[in-house]
Formats: sequence, structure tokens, C-alpha cells
Amino acid sequence: MSETLIETKNLTINFGGLKAVDDVSISVKKGLFTTIIGPNGAGKTTLFNLISGLLQPTEGIVYFKGADITSLSPMQRVAMGIGRSFQLTNVFPNLTVHENVRLALQSREKTGYKIFTSYKKFPALQEEASALLEQVLLDDKMNSPASSLNHGEQRKLELAMVLAMKPDVLLLDEPTAGMALEEVPAMFELLEKTKKEQQNTILLIEHKMDLVTKLSDTVIVLVNGSVLTEGTAAEVSENPDVLKAYLGGGILNESTA
Amino acid sequence: MPMLTNILRKKPALGPGMWLFLGLFAVLILIIPHITGLTTTTLLSRIYILAIFGMSYDILRGYTGIINLGHALFFGGGTYIAGIMFSRMGATLDILLLAVLVSMVFAAIVAYIMGQFAFRGSGFTGVIACAMITLAFGEIGRHSAETLREYTQGADGLTFRVPLMFQDRVMMYYYALLFLIAMTLILRQFVNSPTGRVLQAIRDNDQRAKFLGYDTKKYKLIALVIAGMASAAAGIMFALLTRFANTELLTVQSTLNALLYTIVGGTGTLYGAIFGTAFVQLAQNYLLELRGIHEIFSRWLLFFGAIYVLVVLYMPKGLVGTYLQLEEKWRKRKIAA
Repeated sequence: MSETLIETKNLTINFGGLKAVDDVSISVKKGLFTTIIGPNGAGKTTLFNLISGLLQPTEGIVYFKGADITSLSPMQRVAMGIGRSFQLTNVFPNLTVHENVRLALQSREKTGYKIFTSYKKFPALQEEASALLEQVLLDDKMNSPASSLNHGEQRKLELAMVLAMKPDVLLLDEPTAGMALEEVPAMFELLEKTKKEQQNTILLIEHKMDLVTKLSDTVIVLVNGSVLTEGTAAEVSENPDVLKAYLGGGILNESTA
Repeated sequence: MPMLTNILRKKPALGPGMWLFLGLFAVLILIIPHITGLTTTTLLSRIYILAIFGMSYDILRGYTGIINLGHALFFGGGTYIAGIMFSRMGATLDILLLAVLVSMVFAAIVAYIMGQFAFRGSGFTGVIACAMITLAFGEIGRHSAETLREYTQGADGLTFRVPLMFQDRVMMYYYALLFLIAMTLILRQFVNSPTGRVLQAIRDNDQRAKFLGYDTKKYKLIALVIAGMASAAAGIMFALLTRFANTELLTVQSTLNALLYTIVGGTGTLYGAIFGTAFVQLAQNYLLELRGIHEIFSRWLLFFGAIYVLVVLYMPKGLVGTYLQLEEKWRKRKIAA
């Protein structure tokens, strides 16, 4: 049995009367690819916000590498090795694409407090940023401001930024949303490669069921804020409850759209 | 993959015409005190010094996205510290060095404390809280200067002598020029450092910077301390030039002047502050000279209000910002052609 990286215990958050996440206890094992699926409004992103520290739970505990991190700031969690991407575009719009990635690398290398050295004195970071952008097929946009990218391209940039940080666990919130359809397989290939080469742990939120089947070691189905079921992709897709939830939510067949 | 970085933007080389122009301009700047009167020489010295005050404000607003309404506290603080020390301890070079040391420590400590209070919140409410708290700090400074009459002469203002080597207007011009060049180089190095780059990320998206693992509050503190020290240094130079300190230096109006320099010159461009200060100071002077033609020109603030509105509406990027934008456009057209 491999080591558990992230664990949540009875995680609950109330927004007024709405329980967006309701008593969720999941665990993410090291080196595995775990996918969270569920219809819109199931609480997937909210769960991510709780794990990454953007939101504080009403009840419950978040563990990372066995330590209680529930009251830590997002920044402290990043320092411990949790990296996340955002579903809604969240980059530095006025900086160039290259600079966005370079800043992520700079954070990882902890060179941020050098006050009077030129940032150009760290060519390794520049090279690595360029290489990452090539991986996510963005190398031709390197010098454009991030705000000039279309939605799909910004998703790629997000991915490059989170990969740059080489976190112990990557929380990826629908990384392929809005991407041109023919580019999606390339992105998943990249994820697969990342997982294999660096033995990364990935926790992914995804809408497109067919894409995750191949990659995921474990699939967690979230409906109305609670875990409906958990298992391998095959188990989950044959589960009648899941089919019902998805038919109700109506997204299982949407995967090809 | 090493060739990839070659694609990274390189500044186009300057043509021979541009070099000639810059060379002539440099010569003009160097000989100007010998070909014009003392009034112009002093006005230019004033511009050089105030430009650094403006530049320090640009570090905050243009590079970090902080609205500091109490920034005059550092500038006025520097002028007052120099003035009080000169008048109490004597106008010598040793005292000047001591005054520099004292005001740097003063600026660093005050900036640190100010930042601890001002950078607590985040998001929109954080911005408002920061503006209000810095405003309060600035007002405390102004009020202290008014009430500590024994040291500051209160509202009358403090007149003092300066070390001999700064009494000659022409020499003072060169010191001011040297100060401008040195501080511009230092601040440029700062904004191009890894730290400066993080500041720009924070300006763009504070939350994302946190999720990259940056302690944004600490970085904002660094920005405020550096900007505060630069501003205090400009304050000392201002003391050497004017030999006079009054509470007006510490008012919100004084901070807003710095804001005006950066807006006219171009926010987030650093050099913009130099052009902005020059434009504002020269315009102010010119308008005052027109007094003889019509009474209305003595109300130069009226015209400033109008200029302010026009710049914000039609040239939001300021002089330097607009120039850079045009240059980029020309370059793209050239590549396309």
C-alpha cells in the first residue's frame, strides 16, 4: 500500500444554507492519478479550494503527508508541495507568457528575495520556462502578454505554471476546458508523461469521462457535495448509481461534445 | 533547446541618428547651467530631485499596485531630518552623512510599520484599507511636524543652512543630476531583479502570486521599504537645494504630486517619472509666467486639474507609456512589411 498524500476527513463547507461540500472523506495515494468527476455544481472546485486553502471548511480536517494543514495559508501549502491550477483563468495578464512560467520556476528555486541582481542572471530558469512552453505547445506565444491568449491557450499556460513548480501533488481543475478538441489528447499525453517520468501524484477534476478512463488509477464521483462512489474507471462507469446521477445531471454522453 | 531563448525579446539596436540625438542631448544637459540663468538651473535641479520622489511612487503604484496616500511622509521626513540636524548640529558634511543615515533608518522603520498595518487585507477591501491606513500615517507625520514647533518651527517652516559645497547653484545642479542618474540605475536594477518581477506579478494578480508560493505581504513590505528610502533620499537632496522645510512637504497634496508625475509620465515605466516631473514642473512655471497676460494664469492648479483629466482620458499610459506603445506598433509593422 502506497503512502497517502492528501486525506480529507468529514470535510464540509456551508455557504449560507447550501452544503457545497458535505462530509467528504477521500484520500489520494502517492504516485497515483486520481480523478474527480461529477455533474456541474457537485462541489468539485469547492473541494479543491478547501484542499488548496482558498476556502476554510466549516467542519472537517485536511491532511497532507500526515500533517493537519486545515489552518495553513495557501502559501504555506504551496511550500509543502501542493500545486494547483485554476478552472477560471488565473494568470498574470500584463506579463508575458514566458514571464508567467518563469515566475513559477523562480518560486520553486526560491530566488525571489534577490533584490539587486538582474533576473536575467538566472539563465537556467529562462531555458526551463522556454522548454515547458514548448511542451504545452505555447512556444510561439512566448513573448505575448498572457492577456492576449485565448481561453484554451490560457489553460495550457496554467498547466505549464503548475508543472513548473514540480509540486508533490498537482491539483488540476479541468485543465482542458475550452481547449481546441484536437489539442486535448496532447495535453493528456503530457499529463501521463508527467505522472510516469516524475512519479507525480495528480488529482484531476474533469468533465470528459472518456478521456480520464485511460489515465486514472482511481475515479471519485462527487454528486451534490458528497462522494457517491469511488473505484477504478471501469467499476465506476458500470455503477448504476453513477449512471443515474449522470443521466440526471446529463453529462456522461456530453463527453464527446 | 538553448536557441529558444534567442527568440526572447531583444531591444532593437539604436540607429546612428538616435545615438547622435542622445549624445547632443547629454551634452546639452551637461552644459545647460553655463548657458542659462540660475532660475532655469535651479528649476532643473528641482526636477531631477522630484523625479526620484515620483519614481519611488511608481515602484509602489506602477510596479506593485499599492496605493500609498502617505508617501510624502518619507520625502518630507528626509527634508525635515536634514533640516533639523543642520540647524541644530551645524551645516557640515559629517552632519549630512549622519542625516542620510538617520533618514534611511527612519524611512525603513516607518515603512515597515506602515506596511505591517496597511497590507493586512486582500482584494478590493484590502486596497481601500491600505489607502486609508497610509493616509492616516501621512497625517500623523504632518501633524507631528506642525506641533513639534521647537524642532520644526511649525507652520512657519524651517529655514536652515547647508554645507558649503552645496551652496553653489551650479554645483548643486550637477549633484542633483548625479543623484538622478545613480538612483535611476539603482531603482531600475531593483525592478528588474527577481524581487521586482514578483512585485509585478502581485500587481497583476495577488491571489495567483500566493498560489505560486510567494509571500505577497513580505514582498509588498520590501517594495514599501525601498520606495520609502528612495523617497527619503530625494527629500534630503531637496533640503540641500531649497534650504527650507515646511509642512506642505508632508501633506496629501505632496503625495498627490508624486502620483501626478507618474500618471503624466507613464505608470509602471520608471523613467516616466522623469518626464512627468519635468512636464508638470515646467508647465507650472510657464503658467505662472503667463500671470502678466491674464490674472487667471496665477491659478495654475486650475489648469493642472484639466491636464490631469485630459491625460487620464486620452493618454492613460502617460508620455513614456504611449511612446513605448507606439514603438511596439512600428516594430510590428516593420516585421509585417
